[in-house]
Amino acid sequence: MDAKRNMAKEPQPREAGTGQMEGMDLESVIECARGHDAEALGEIYRRYVRRVFGLCRYMLNSRESAEDATSEVFLKLQRSIEGYDRSIPFLRWLLRVAGNQCIDALRRRQRGRRAIVEVEDGAAVIEVPSSEPSPLGAVISKEERADVRDAIARLPENYRVPLVLRYYSELSYDEIAQQLGLERNYVAALIFRAKQELRRRLPHRSN
Amino acid sequence: MECYSEQTCALAVDGELAADEAQRLRDHLTTCQRCRALVDALRAENRVLSESLNELPEEAASPARFSPQHWSWGWADLAILAVVLALGSIISGWFNELDIPAAVEWFNPFSVSGRTNLTFQLFYYFAHGGTAMLADYAAVVGWICLLLLLGGSALLLGRRGRTHYPGLRLLVVLLALSLPSFALERRHGEFVTVTANETVDDTLVATANMVRVDGVVNGDLLTFGRTVEVRGTVKGDLISFAQRTEVSGTVEGRIYTFARTLDLEGQLGHSIYGAVQSLHIDDRGRVGDGIVVAVGEASLEGEVKRSVNIVTGGSVDVSGAIGRDLTMIGRSLVLTNTARIGGNLSARVRQLKEVQIADGATIGGKRDIQVRVRESSFTRPRFYFHQAVWFAGAILVGWLGILLFPGFFPATTQLVGSGWRSLGLGVGVLAGVPVAMVVIAITLVGFPLSLMVLALYLAAIYLAKIWVGAFLGRTLLKPSGATKSDWLLGLLVGLLILTLMGFIPYLGGLVRLGVVCLGLGAFAGQLYRASQPAT
Repeated sequence: MDAKRNMAKEPQPREAGTGQMEGMDLESVIECARGHDAEALGEIYRRYVRRVFGLCRYMLNSRESAEDATSEVFLKLQRSIEGYDRSIPFLRWLLRVAGNQCIDALRRRQRGRRAIVEVEDGAAVIEVPSSEPSPLGAVISKEERADVRDAIARLPENYRVPLVLRYYSELSYDEIAQQLGLERNYVAALIFRAKQELRRRLPHRSN
Repeated sequence: MECYSEQTCALAVDGELAADEAQRLRDHLTTCQRCRALVDALRAENRVLSESLNELPEEAASPARFSPQHWSWGWADLAILAVVLALGSIISGWFNELDIPAAVEWFNPFSVSGRTNLTFQLFYYFAHGGTAMLADYAAVVGWICLLLLLGGSALLLGRRGRTHYPGLRLLVVLLALSLPSFALERRHGEFVTVTANETVDDTLVATANMVRVDGVVNGDLLTFGRTVEVRGTVKGDLISFAQRTEVSGTVEGRIYTFARTLDLEGQLGHSIYGAVQSLHIDDRGRVGDGIVVAVGEASLEGEVKRSVNIVTGGSVDVSGAIGRDLTMIGRSLVLTNTARIGGNLSARVRQLKEVQIADGATIGGKRDIQVRVRESSFTRPRFYFHQAVWFAGAILVGWLGILLFPGFFPATTQLVGSGWRSLGLGVGVLAGVPVAMVVIAITLVGFPLSLMVLALYLAAIYLAKIWVGAFLGRTLLKPSGATKSDWLLGLLVGLLILTLMGFIPYLGGLVRLGVVCLGLGAFAGQLYRASQPAT
């Protein structure tokens, strides 16, 4: 409880030099956090809250739900961090935890239906006609990046979620498949479809 | 060599192609201009996606915005801690004094007398349209819920907080509500007596087989017992959960009673409120204000300064004086020669011959005696108005609920779908909680806890129809989304259907009971789920 409270008091980046954890390397911070050190948990929160919130925001498509999910992730971190085994980078692990939190939230929203429904029949069949729009152009301005984000936000959930997990959380297809409880092939198809849908929605960006 | 498909190239760019195939693709790229261009374009596209996503939108740039939420959690934690400590300190102090369950043996469902009593009460309950009573009762609870929710929502929305553990927050609120009960003097044992020369300055909570006040209680008197006798003076209110309550002395405040019998032979400063099986105002008894009660039967021989409102399954006998109006709904009414009513007499009975007014009885105002025809309610516009208000209230409560507990309400709604399991659990909860509450309350240690459970129980009984309604609506409408408005639309439709079904004779009561059980079960299930650590 102390940990949570302390963490709660320190969501804002502190002035340099005010905390002992400030310059500490991640390893030590994680080690301290595993020992339920409130300050260490606060430090992790400070370092990663934006990344986690970003993921939740993209996945849940609602600021409020994203805030809820983010809070949940960090509130549960005190316990869940004990399960972190260092086999993967911490951020990747944290985003995976956050991804799970979001998927849970999506499932709750959908009354127990599988959050990510399997793509329509035949979608797993990889080949698609070559008349699809070509990939999005490479050079991109700030405004255009905002357009891309908007378009992603408007994608249907079953396209949006795997896409975000792949290109924001940088999870592999296998990891995404595991998180969503889908076949790897479906995940590949969903991501591919998602990109094509994006191209269709951002025609001026296509090459 | 044949060119690769775009999807295969995409897999390769994502690093998801099997090693040997990736190698073949690389070999192919050295010779194929077209595929090389495609792979480059896909790679660029991935970069665009990553960059766009990683450049977080403005709103994500300030994690400081989370602070109010966290702050409020800090406070909630503190509040819980404080409450737990307070409870703990009280419980630990009383731990070795737990030898008093005999005091309320009559209400103990595990003993013969308790069972007889319980059977009697249940019979009484069903004989007098129990399910209809339940609905009326739920409507009252609804208003309480609404007020609580309104107050809570003002507070929560003001802080822009959204709840994560709604149960926990509710607990805090309920604990806070029950806190005043800590400032009490408590006595328990076989006999609790305030002797004639004794004065209790605080509110007295007495649990005993026999509670007798011969002296003076300056605060309120709250009693649980088989028999409660007030021969002396209670300056505050008398709140009695007893088999028999007898006041031959003076109660300067009000009497709230949930007893089997209430006899007033002495003086009461204000009103009587409550539900009793038998109410008797002796000819020496005097009520300074009015009476609002639901009774099995009532006999008023003494004096009531103001109005009397009685709902009864049986008869009302008046031979004393009522200062203002007498309003009764029940089976029969008898006014003897000595009866005096200062204001209007308004009675609703099943048959006209059940009203007997002696010639000597005086009635100052108008007589309004109506024969109650059961089905007539459908023909009165007021009925529809009431239903509309009731309906709007339920929708409003649902809306507030989903606003305040955006996770909990839909999850509970969903749990209704587990059908028989929810129903079974609900029946258990419906029947078990009152027993548990009594058991907790008789130890007295758990009295505040018992009040909390009661509040939660009543709230859940009211909310049951909202969860079941929402579930029914969703099942029928099958909305594509899962937004709050979808949920509310489902609630609207489902509740409408449930309301209409509730009017079907005989079956309606069963439907209502089923709804309450289903909703309660889902609520209990969801509470249990929410209390489990998330994986």
